[in-house]
Amino acid sequence: MDDDIADAIVGWCMVPLCLLGLLIAARAHDSEMYLFGFSLAGFTALFGFGLIKRHYDQKDQARARVKAGDHV
Amino acid sequence: MAHKFFSHATIERNVMLLLVLALITVSIGGIVEVVPLFTIETTVEHVKGVRPYSPLELAGRNIYIREGCYLCHSQQIRSLRDEVERYGHWSLAAESMYDHPFQWGSKRIGPDLARVGGKYSNDWHSAHLINPQALVPESLMPSYRFLAEAPLRMDETAEHLRTVRAVGVPYTPEQIANAQADLETQATLGADTASLLKRYPKANMVATPGDQITELTALIAYLQVLGTMVDFADTSTEALQQ
Amino acid sequence: MSDHVLSTAAPDYNEEVVRKFIIAGMFWGVIAFALGTYLALELTWPAFNLGFSFTNFGRLRPVHTSAAIFAFGGSILFGTALHVVQRTCRARLWGGPALANFIFWGYQFFIVMAALSYVMGFSKGREYAEPEWHIDLWLTLVWVLMTVVYVGTLLRRAEPHIYVANWFYLAFLITVAMLHIVNNLTLPVSFFGAKSYSLFSGVQDAMVQWWYGHNAVGFFLTAGFLGMMYYFIPKAAGRPVYSYRLSIVHFWALIFLYIWAGPHHLHYTALPDWTQTLGMAFSIMLWMPSWGGMINGLMTLSGAWDKLRTDPGLRFSVTAVGFYGMATFEGPVMSVREVNSLSHYTDWGIGHVHSGALGWVAFISFGAMYYLIPVLWKRERMWSVKLISWHYWIATLGIVFYISSMWVAGIMQGLMWRAYDSFGFLQYSFIESVVAVHPYYIIRMVGGLCFLAGSVMMAFNMFMTIRGPQPAHQNTGRGFGQRLAVAGE
Repeated sequence: MDDDIADAIVGWCMVPLCLLGLLIAARAHDSEMYLFGFSLAGFTALFGFGLIKRHYDQKDQARARVKAGDHV
Repeated sequence: MAHKFFSHATIERNVMLLLVLALITVSIGGIVEVVPLFTIETTVEHVKGVRPYSPLELAGRNIYIREGCYLCHSQQIRSLRDEVERYGHWSLAAESMYDHPFQWGSKRIGPDLARVGGKYSNDWHSAHLINPQALVPESLMPSYRFLAEAPLRMDETAEHLRTVRAVGVPYTPEQIANAQADLETQATLGADTASLLKRYPKANMVATPGDQITELTALIAYLQVLGTMVDFADTSTEALQQ
Repeated sequence: MSDHVLSTAAPDYNEEVVRKFIIAGMFWGVIAFALGTYLALELTWPAFNLGFSFTNFGRLRPVHTSAAIFAFGGSILFGTALHVVQRTCRARLWGGPALANFIFWGYQFFIVMAALSYVMGFSKGREYAEPEWHIDLWLTLVWVLMTVVYVGTLLRRAEPHIYVANWFYLAFLITVAMLHIVNNLTLPVSFFGAKSYSLFSGVQDAMVQWWYGHNAVGFFLTAGFLGMMYYFIPKAAGRPVYSYRLSIVHFWALIFLYIWAGPHHLHYTALPDWTQTLGMAFSIMLWMPSWGGMINGLMTLSGAWDKLRTDPGLRFSVTAVGFYGMATFEGPVMSVREVNSLSHYTDWGIGHVHSGALGWVAFISFGAMYYLIPVLWKRERMWSVKLISWHYWIATLGIVFYISSMWVAGIMQGLMWRAYDSFGFLQYSFIESVVAVHPYYIIRMVGGLCFLAGSVMMAFNMFMTIRGPQPAHQNTGRGFGQRLAVAGE
């Protein structure tokens, strides 16, 4: 339960970081900042989606275990 | 282990105590060695001649830094007899006081460059940077031909001077206002250099073949000023004391 | 006055993040060693610079040093620290799986961004602190999160005493944070541009950089890896740490004295004499707590020396401690002003760095990894114990080639630069010293190649271990299961 809250906080933190990345890429003065901005946006987006995927994967697995008659 | 109040066990049973004590312990040496370098007045010797880099020299310096030249070349002549004989007067703290960051270096795969300014012609530097082995066959230096093909980025010249001023280098409003013009003057053959030299004494003109100021031009301008600012004939032993 | 939590339930350790860091460490290690070998090739035959901006020595060298220190060293440190803190505290990692995962991927992101920035031609021009300000900020974020997770786990420990390995890991985390923040104080020209200018300049900047630089060695490459040693040698040997009292004394002495050693990088420079002398004196004093660590590590084998015959992983760890002792003797010697007048700027410094980096840092990492990999993937042992032995010998050979060639090259350079002929003129031009060391650069490159080959063997061994069960016939001596029983956890 605690882990779920902690994971959710981490997940939500990806949103402002992703937007920051896009902002940096948009206003970049040089090629490196441009790369950094896009990479930051891509990384945080992928990470966030990974968290969402993991959350629902775990839910599915738990449901499957209940169906099979195991303890959750 | 006996559980007395001042035993180490007290620290081992308390994370925050361990953390704070460790942090205090590791802070002491740095404070003792760094702070007095700012407060002891004679750390930077009182010599004349050291001035902020001209816009072209600063651009060249930034290229020197980003290419990692400091990894093979030092810029610090030690106060050792053979070194002074090979490279010139030992380096003073004053000579790098406007260097953000310092580039003293820690390895000599190539020779020290602290006083390379004026020792070789612009053409020599150009040829050497483009193909080091053509001039020094046994050299280990890579080719920097790509600098001769890269136009110098000049859209933020004044901004750079302003930033360097913000970290403590005394650029005057006049120098900042003329940043772009001074950069172009220093890199143009036959330009009127009077006001440039007034703002930046001993600045060297570096002409570029063709009509574009390249990164190579800037780098050469920087190399040619190294070690030339202080007139050692005009200093006293007292002034050189730290 | 303690702050632990009483708990009897077996914790659900987060081993996933540890596994990730160990795999990353192996990957980056091979890359770091390959890059190092390529740099050695460039210095031997400069044609290998290829004429491109992104392949030349100046741009590639920071990729190598960052890969070796931060990517390889840092990944193994983070991975083992997270493993050790959970196991010695009998507590699950604080902060949840997503945070741990973010620390892992965030750290990898830092590594990749830093490396790309260097080859693209962006660098702050400070050794071991080359990434520009925005990448520094990102690292600070990841580092703070790692420290918080680490301390949080310590706070929820079921074991009242904090085990000694954790003192060292903790000192590593907080000191590197302090060093990183202060040394990387810069002002960007624009918040949307990579270029920044350092806050300090000249002699003060030099002092700050080497306060940082030497303690990057002292805390990143020493204190952190001593933490590793304090856990993995007792574990693999099945013996307790030799002396608790010694660990206390040398811990506090080490972390106090190390910080002062920076000026020994600046002898005879424009740094004031008083600072140079302080640096030298403290560097010499530093020999004692360093050898305290060596003694504690080696003597832990007391009663278990026979294990060195049968456990090549342990052989790595013990050899590492030997190299640690050697390097921490050589360092103070080189800190003496007169010695330094010969050694500074020469390849002796490079030899010294690599005896520490390959002999101590890499070897203690290999020892820890060879122990940990079977544990993490629930295998009885590594896929091939014989291959570990091959790795050990070829890597050791590589180190010997590397160090000895650089000693000869370095001393030769130092002597040639200061040589006078009978007329009182300097005898050698600079380029003559470059030509003279060429054969030793070839030997150094061969040494690097050997070390790289060993690491590839290890990567293969690791891959095969993770992939499947052991082959039927193996000469392994004492098994993993027995080691577990002796160590008691």
